[in-house]
Amino acid sequence: MHEVPIVRDIFNTLQESHPDKFDRILKVQVEAGLLCNVQPILIQNAFEALIRDEPHLAHIDLEVVLLPIIAHCETCHQQFEVIRHKFVCACGTPSRKIVQGEELRISKVEFLT
Amino acid sequence: MIDTKPKSNRMPAGSVQCDNTTLNLLKANDFVAKAIKDKVPDVLIINICSSPGSGKTTLLQETGRRLRDKLSIAVLVGDPETERDAVRLRDVGINALQIVTGGMCHIEAQMIYQALDHIDLTHVDLLIIENVGNLVCRLLLEKKKDYRVTLLASTEGDDKPKKYPRMFLTSELMLVSKADLLPYVPFSVEAAIKDAREVNPDLSAMQVSTLSGEGIDEWCSWLEEKVKEKKARKQ
Repeated sequence: MHEVPIVRDIFNTLQESHPDKFDRILKVQVEAGLLCNVQPILIQNAFEALIRDEPHLAHIDLEVVLLPIIAHCETCHQQFEVIRHKFVCACGTPSRKIVQGEELRISKVEFLT
Repeated sequence: MIDTKPKSNRMPAGSVQCDNTTLNLLKANDFVAKAIKDKVPDVLIINICSSPGSGKTTLLQETGRRLRDKLSIAVLVGDPETERDAVRLRDVGINALQIVTGGMCHIEAQMIYQALDHIDLTHVDLLIIENVGNLVCRLLLEKKKDYRVTLLASTEGDDKPKKYPRMFLTSELMLVSKADLLPYVPFSVEAAIKDAREVNPDLSAMQVSTLSGEGIDEWCSWLEEKVKEKKARKQ
């Protein structure tokens, strides 16, 4: 339900950040932390829908990379991956100091030179 | 029909330049969050979430009655349609404004920002945002509230923290509401708290019943305490 605004936001952001090169964009990589509730296939579908209104974007390859949730353990001073929302380190210490997993950002852009 | 052909086939030929970058796509939310904080820096903001029908508005009506002489409370209440909740809250003397989301499943930060122009927050100690009943879409932005309180009614079943972990992850307090029904429904408060703390070890929990009055004093004291802490931080 929130995918269409996200896709619009991606291209509005690129238009702002790269006004001179926007027309030459070939590929965009977006990183989405698992806590953002973003599903790559739904982003692709929303992008296909957007292309109908904005055919000049049709050649762009949009890739969504999901980032796992990583938390920091205060006891072992190490990072651990949070699986199934279990915010407990292997050593048994609970922690919700989230290091990664909440971000939604454009991480890479490829242009035709 | 959706074209599933790889996009690479449609790309024009030529050499490619690659920019590694970090362009935050949540910046609109961050901007609005900061603007809200700047607008009401001294007011404690609490976001209340839950499924529809778990008793948010009823609890707030009672909260308003009990704290009437101690705190000045304002409520922004979101619903897909109707102004019924704001009317119910105003009936008990609470300064309430309805946000009709027009079918949307949650209040967007922008809606709160606009609503702040239409509600008098002079001398208000506590601003409560009563979100649309929904355990799935949490607001992406967390920076605009001081605390999030999630209600879980005894009639909903104690499996909800496991099924909707993200809602409990970002809450500071879980209220098990409709506690007066606990003797009649298969709901283990212990199991619900245990599951919720697996997601969020720092989560506090209370049992409340607006009908019987159980836990309401404790809840109101929690609110008063947080308002006091917020004021102390400002000085």
